[in-house]
Amino acid sequence: MEYLKVLKEIFIDGERYMYILKGLRFSVGVTLVAAILGVMLGILAALMRISNFHPFKKSKDKKLRDFNPLEWLAIFYTDLIRGTPAVVQLMVLANIVFAGFRDMPVFLIASLSFGINSGAYVCEIIRAGIEGLDKGQMEAARALGMPYSVAMKEIIIPQAIKKILPALVSEFITLLKETSIVGFIGGVDLLRSANIITSQTYRGVEPLIAVGIIYLIMTGLFTKLMRKVEKGMKISD
Amino acid sequence: MIKIKNLYKSYGKLEVLKDISVDINKGEVIAVIGPSGSGKSTFLRCLNKLEEPTKGSIFIQGKDLMDDKTDINKIRENVGMVFQHFNLFPHKTVLENLTLAPMKIKNMNKEEIEKKAYYLLDKVGLKDKANSYPNQLSGGQKQRIAIARALAMDPSVILFDEPTSALDPEMIKEVLDVMRALALEGMTMIVVTHEMGFAKSVADRVFFMDQGTILEDSSPDIIFNNPTHERTKEFLNKVLNR
Repeated sequence: MEYLKVLKEIFIDGERYMYILKGLRFSVGVTLVAAILGVMLGILAALMRISNFHPFKKSKDKKLRDFNPLEWLAIFYTDLIRGTPAVVQLMVLANIVFAGFRDMPVFLIASLSFGINSGAYVCEIIRAGIEGLDKGQMEAARALGMPYSVAMKEIIIPQAIKKILPALVSEFITLLKETSIVGFIGGVDLLRSANIITSQTYRGVEPLIAVGIIYLIMTGLFTKLMRKVEKGMKISD
Repeated sequence: MIKIKNLYKSYGKLEVLKDISVDINKGEVIAVIGPSGSGKSTFLRCLNKLEEPTKGSIFIQGKDLMDDKTDINKIRENVGMVFQHFNLFPHKTVLENLTLAPMKIKNMNKEEIEKKAYYLLDKVGLKDKANSYPNQLSGGQKQRIAIARALAMDPSVILFDEPTSALDPEMIKEVLDVMRALALEGMTMIVVTHEMGFAKSVADRVFFMDQGTILEDSSPDIIFNNPTHERTKEFLNKVLNR
């Protein structure tokens, strides 16, 4: 009973739980915007990677003939993002790229940074999903006389989605947890709200555990939803 | 119906097909035999441009496959293909496997296409599987569906790429029976196969391929009983006297 009083002191007094609620809103908001941006960027980059665009087809040099600038750009993007820590990307965006925009809200910078970050991973997930399919599927479709676009739409993409969705959800779970680094650029997210409560109450453990549980509940909901979707898709397999 | 002249195909430095010239007439059943790596499958896959030939010419019903202006999709509508690993569409029912391509490409109404699909399923003896998914079928059944799928486009020639090589021994006969029936109906067929019995009894002509060329092109009777080339003899010896 004593301990309940302590908890009340930490979270209820001075309406400190509001920090957590605001932090929660920030974290979920950034994750949502970043996820949408990430999927859009990811699809775009994946399309670029599987594209068949060879502007120098007629060149004499074999390397130049096979050069696909769209693919090159997409590879550069994914390698750059996947090869550097998200914190570095976030700091570069906030302190260098948008250094001149003092009024730009942290929320926007964070969403943009995580969206760009997530896009690279989503690209790889989509590409792996499409390229991981049996080559025979495309061949069979083409051999029946279907144009590439029809074969993609009717045969490849419906099958690839089944492989892509589970990986995509786990990417969003990672994204949600990764947003906890926005404290570096002054964003007040879930984790940062715990720090604020600690600084006011001198209690370090409880706020951390509290936000940990909230993260766990959110990712748990995600996972549960995903299992349902997966089950639904297995029926036609 | 099919005219092939000086066909070459190479991957980098590796020449897989070397100077193949051959004519195939309407209604003929051709069995293509030979050791693995001799270019049989590549030859077959050049005929609907799943492989791009390096040089040479292929004419199918007067249309030049090597001409960039030729719509390859139109040619493929007319040239069916059956694969070693069936390649049915796992996310579609058996019926949808048959109707999808005609529905998307041909200007026919749905009822007509489905009626035809049921007729073809009946023909391969699998009418009751119309609403099953491919993974609920045995290998032999899958391959019969794959043949029906090719037939649904009303092709004038069908290419078979080792259609029985991935099947359990028990299931080979049911697929060969369907092919035999097709041959009797006068379908033009080019069959890459290791089934020598089938080649002997059904084919009008047998191509023996070795190292990227058609070494011998004669009637099954001559190939199996009195081959001209030492290499053919050697191959048949190995295959038939197991």
